[in-house]
Amino acid sequence: MNYTILDSPDFALLQVVLDTSETFVAESGAMVAKDVGIDITTSLRGGLLGAAKRKFLGGESLFQNTFTARTSGQRLFLAAKAEGDLRARKLGVGESFFLQSGAYVGHSGSDLKIDTKFGGVRGFFSGVGLFILRIEGPGTVFYGSYGAIHEVELHGENYTVDTGHIVAFTQTLDYRVRAFGGFKGLFLSGEGLVADFHGTGTVYVQTRNAAGLAAFLHPFRRIKAKAGN
Amino acid sequence: MVLQSPELEMSTHLNAGRRAGFWAVITALLVALARKFLGGETMFVNRFRAPRGGELVLAPSLSGNIVQKKLDGQKRLFVQSGSYLASTGDIDAKVRFGGLRTLFGGEGLALLECTGTGELWINSYGSVLAIPINGAFTVDTGHIVAFEGNLDFRVKSVGGMKSLFLSGEGLVCEFQGSGTVYIQSRNLSSLVHWLSPLLPS
Amino acid sequence: MHIEIQYNPAHSLATVHLAPHESIRAEAGSMVSMTDNISVTTTAGHRSGGGFFGGLKRAALGGESFFQNLFSAGAMGGKVSLAPSLAGSMVVHELRLGEELFIQGSSYVAAPESVTLDTQFQGMKGFLSGESLFFLKATGQGPVLLNAFGAIEKRELNGELIVDTGHLVAFTSGIEYSLSKAAKGWIQSFLSGEGFVLKVRGRGTLWLQSRNPSEFGGTVGRMLPAREG
Repeated sequence: MNYTILDSPDFALLQVVLDTSETFVAESGAMVAKDVGIDITTSLRGGLLGAAKRKFLGGESLFQNTFTARTSGQRLFLAAKAEGDLRARKLGVGESFFLQSGAYVGHSGSDLKIDTKFGGVRGFFSGVGLFILRIEGPGTVFYGSYGAIHEVELHGENYTVDTGHIVAFTQTLDYRVRAFGGFKGLFLSGEGLVADFHGTGTVYVQTRNAAGLAAFLHPFRRIKAKAGN
Repeated sequence: MVLQSPELEMSTHLNAGRRAGFWAVITALLVALARKFLGGETMFVNRFRAPRGGELVLAPSLSGNIVQKKLDGQKRLFVQSGSYLASTGDIDAKVRFGGLRTLFGGEGLALLECTGTGELWINSYGSVLAIPINGAFTVDTGHIVAFEGNLDFRVKSVGGMKSLFLSGEGLVCEFQGSGTVYIQSRNLSSLVHWLSPLLPS
Repeated sequence: MHIEIQYNPAHSLATVHLAPHESIRAEAGSMVSMTDNISVTTTAGHRSGGGFFGGLKRAALGGESFFQNLFSAGAMGGKVSLAPSLAGSMVVHELRLGEELFIQGSSYVAAPESVTLDTQFQGMKGFLSGESLFFLKATGQGPVLLNAFGAIEKRELNGELIVDTGHLVAFTSGIEYSLSKAAKGWIQSFLSGEGFVLKVRGRGTLWLQSRNPSEFGGTVGRMLPAREG
């Protein structure tokens, strides 16, 4: 498998080239285009129990697609759903990387593990149905951001990030989630929860957040018809 | 329209194709009004004229790029109807439907068949990638901006009905032949799919 | 104070570098991240219809959360990174004493306390274009951080121009404006999709944005699930 990230950073597109029998797993809805020599199979992610857990927690689709090439040199184009950038992270055996659940696009490497239970235990909620995934290598994970990716390298100091703006962070960082001190906003906009990061590592910050877009679009939605009107 | 000089004249017309007969115009009018009220791309176009010259600045609704294509009277270009921005010269844009449930937006492919001579501007949601095809190629319908008229195309679901509803991939367009397909790196249906679980009731 | 803007034109991020004990007021909901030792308090920071209730009225009328958070750096100084809700650019305009800047409500992001924001001022005609537009008047001195949906275009006006109301970000004094229908008849205006336009005339500077938030909201909003009224 080899890949190229096109049109970074504004509307990044992932181009993957697969050889005979090679596979690539992606989030449902990520496929943009493909050569006809690629087959798609759809499955429930992590079995029925995992899927049910995710449905309950919300914010994450239940299905994933596995793309398998029948011949060599087959191209597959994938994109994240939100407008923004796309990155690849290659992980060694046992190496972990923390990813905001909505950012996951796909991965290669059949031994890569995606753990969704992690967010539930540590209580990392951004208030809009998103949670944290722990990705464990070996393998390469592809993730997308809403907005541009702003990398912040920490060398022991503290840094505070609005939880809706977190894309990913490295395993060496500690964090604490708390309510933001300022005004939270009447509706959905306004800072809700923030994470105070501490230690040595990198936080990947996205420059837009889903709650802000949701709040902007809310008044433009159609209103449900009331019974008896 | 973003801005224009005050001396420009604007008139609104039905986009029925220049040489459309009476019934074609009536059909186009009913379809256009239906789409206007039920949502979906409007089929009315605005014609701007500048008898003494002037300036006109146009922009599409979604974030992304604008590509300019020159039509020389020989080629046909199929443009996804939401991607049509503007044209000059003698370009005729005929409405064509391909696939399921295309009439009211959403899935399927609502296309404009563009012929004639002149300049054509098409916009994309996200960035545009030109992919030359020689053989067969599959594109998710929501990611199609435009394609050359000599390509054969067929709209179908990704892998049977189960896949259609489960895979999240929706409908795809299978292209055959030699020519260029212009794809966009973002898709409105995907944006809606991403945002919907995060919305309050 | 120094404001650094990155990732223009699509996913801009503005990082405000605050000197020790310096402060900046920013729109609620715009905080992305910040360094340690920055205290945050809420302020309704604008004159006229002042205080909490003035902000409330503005928010109800304009659909705009016009509350502000005051970020104050401690003895070591600090950095606050800000971003708007929608994709697009940001720009800083250095306001000078004696100058007046009229800013479309949702285009304002942040400014220090040396800039005064007025929400009700003489000569502001009601904009009942259905776009819920309202304008702020900025006076005083200091950097004013503006955002645009899309790219920002700065234009010097000397004469007359017709501008779509949704594409207007800000303008200086010396410019007269009147609201009119896009086309001659009401049905024509409705069918053309252009709605209301502004005829601007005079000498001054206009800032425009390359995308129209209402149009974007309408296009995406009607595809979203319906909401409770």
